[in-house]
Amino acid sequence: MRELAPSSQLITPDYSEFIPPMDRRRMSDVQKMSIACSMDCLDQAAVGQPDAIIVGTSMGCCVNTRNFLDKILDANGGPLSPTSFIVSTHNTIAGQIALLLKNHSYNMTHTQNSLSFEQSLIDGMLWIKSGFNHVLVGGADEEEESLYNTRSRLNREHLHLACGASFFVLSNENHHSEAVKVVDVGSFGLIDGITDCISHFLASNDLDAKSIDLVLFAQNDQQKMDQLKSIFPRERLCDYQKLTGTYYTNSAFAMHYGVDMLLNNTKTTEAEVRYILVCNNVIPENLGLILLSIK
Amino acid sequence: MQDLKYELKKQIIAELKLEEIKPEDIQDDAPLIGDGLGLDSIDALELVVLLEKYYGVRIMDEEVGRKVLASVNTMAEFILEQKAKTT
Amino acid sequence: MSIFVTGIGIVSAIGLSAEKNLRSLRSLTTGIRRSGKHDLMIGEIDLSDQELIEQLQLATEDYSRTSLLGLLAAREAWAKNKIDKRIRTGIISATSVGGMDRTERYYFESQTSNRTDSRSLMTHDNGRTTERIAVELGISGYIGTISTACSSGANAIMHAARLIEANKLDRVIAGGSEPLATFDIKGFSSLSIYDDGICKPFDEKRMGLNLGEGAAFLMLENEHSISISGNQPICSLAGWHNATDAFHQTASSPDGKGAALAMIHALAKARIPPQAIDYINAHGTGTGNNDLSESMALKTVFGKNIPPFSSTKGFTGHTLAAAGAIEAVYCVQAIQSQAMPPNLNFTMPMKETGMQPETEFHSANLEYVLSNSFGFGGNCTCLIFCKAS
Repeated sequence: MRELAPSSQLITPDYSEFIPPMDRRRMSDVQKMSIACSMDCLDQAAVGQPDAIIVGTSMGCCVNTRNFLDKILDANGGPLSPTSFIVSTHNTIAGQIALLLKNHSYNMTHTQNSLSFEQSLIDGMLWIKSGFNHVLVGGADEEEESLYNTRSRLNREHLHLACGASFFVLSNENHHSEAVKVVDVGSFGLIDGITDCISHFLASNDLDAKSIDLVLFAQNDQQKMDQLKSIFPRERLCDYQKLTGTYYTNSAFAMHYGVDMLLNNTKTTEAEVRYILVCNNVIPENLGLILLSIK
Repeated sequence: MQDLKYELKKQIIAELKLEEIKPEDIQDDAPLIGDGLGLDSIDALELVVLLEKYYGVRIMDEEVGRKVLASVNTMAEFILEQKAKTT
Repeated sequence: MSIFVTGIGIVSAIGLSAEKNLRSLRSLTTGIRRSGKHDLMIGEIDLSDQELIEQLQLATEDYSRTSLLGLLAAREAWAKNKIDKRIRTGIISATSVGGMDRTERYYFESQTSNRTDSRSLMTHDNGRTTERIAVELGISGYIGTISTACSSGANAIMHAARLIEANKLDRVIAGGSEPLATFDIKGFSSLSIYDDGICKPFDEKRMGLNLGEGAAFLMLENEHSISISGNQPICSLAGWHNATDAFHQTASSPDGKGAALAMIHALAKARIPPQAIDYINAHGTGTGNNDLSESMALKTVFGKNIPPFSSTKGFTGHTLAAAGAIEAVYCVQAIQSQAMPPNLNFTMPMKETGMQPETEFHSANLEYVLSNSFGFGGNCTCLIFCKAS
């Protein structure tokens, strides 16, 4: 896969294939992306109604949020248009998916900046463990620097800010056909170093650093990068932000990439890649870990 | 009156982002909310804002709103009525 | 396994502590007043950000009002607890607008001035508002934030319970915080959804809602945590569920399907029949749509035998993401004091239902108490608390 060029733009499908025009008109990019991904994903899994819909989004519907702020300024005390306001809450994404599917099940939105997707996965996996058959889980963010000042937050002026959405159907063991397992997910906020955290996470799954065939990482801090290199050999490290650009739920893309790699391996000869670890350290003090394996 | 109705239709399409609809597709007497054009309660609020923003006329309560927003005809009539009161 | 509630903390328009809130509920004293600044009836907390910073003895001013209110409530709930390696501890908060109080000031000022500091945007993201609270309590590890509009606070508590039940954590401080931001004030104004006076939940003549601000947290612990902390349970969290109405982006369905599903499954989770519920703290915003929809849902679940119920939003206003957490605290206090908070401003039942909420603060035998919270996107959550055995 080619690295993202600084001028890269979001690649979108024809949304009219997924969303009727009367619904589409109120939607911002993050909502349209998420719905398109969700519908495609559910179709691939042949799941009509998921038992839960869970979305991780750091910034939510921030374009609509900014639009409403602009409307407040323009109205200057006069009549105010309500539409941007009602579709500005973070859970509009998950809510819209449910509305289009007429789905009445559990519907949740996690908004813990760079750990939003990991926490959504943890949530989904709890439901699978408790007996649900299929859970729709995704991570999505749109680009909106004027409210988030991501470059200052990450202390990096030359970040390639981007956006994207990745959705998955998690299924329990009795209802699957694919060969990739989400073994474990960790969400660690406000930590100092990452080496102990990663080691303990792997050990709790009876693994160590040597067991991991590929580490898909996102790293914006040199000190933390050095810590990563001290645990894993350089040739097993792959910087997924070169493919995604920076947005706080890009670990969802990394998971998709990892799943594809594991699936492709099983379709060729022996499985050369058995364990993949997504190591999301987009925000230096927050660490998200997703452990994938061949079943 | 016909010019006003045509303007109204264009404004409705623009403000409510009805991308695939042209002014010619909206009948003067077709229901706007629910049946017909299929608009919802949020669209109704947007139409109230539209009337005030473009024509300076205000709908003060829900009962009046229901009647005025029934169709393009009733909206146009309301605008002319209110304008006549102020001149 | 039991999920114990061992601490509560709350700040709202009717008090800056659990005790003060309870006193206001007892004396039927509302916190909703006409705000000179906004020309609206609103449940405002009479402390500026600067006063909150001083009261909290914080070293910097780099906090959104969301974090400040949240920290005041969280500290009360956390009380004398300490970080202990033997107890896996987390924090889950909830907010709709995050640090919007600071962000909108920056955004509005930056349109006309170059002298704004964009670093104030760094308190905007929802997760950051929770991190600021976590730092002050010394919590690291599982730090989460839920944002599902007006059901957020209840969802944060439910998610905390699920993590404890699944043995991922031993104790969690869970709740929500929401400031009064121009964004919300103007937003609800654009929906023409306000009552010009104090709201009248479940009343035939109800006109709409009042906004409010506030924060509340519960300390939830499992038995392992209690065996180390030595805390006494106040009550338990017995049941919970979340379901979706899937009717409209903002309006609730006429039959309250999502609300009914949330209650039915929460009762199943608690393993009790509907008739075991002794009191319901309703979502009851005072809008035409919510109160009717919720009433229909109550009829679906409880039939002719609807338990005593009330909405406390006539005291605090609708505190959006914090509402579910604030009302969870009132449910815990109801069990603790064996008394039901009343529904203010009620005079006439809705003609569709004839249902009458409790209008006096009076004693009752309360074993199981249910709390409803419903948000935009048709998000419906129900929590059930019970007397600790």
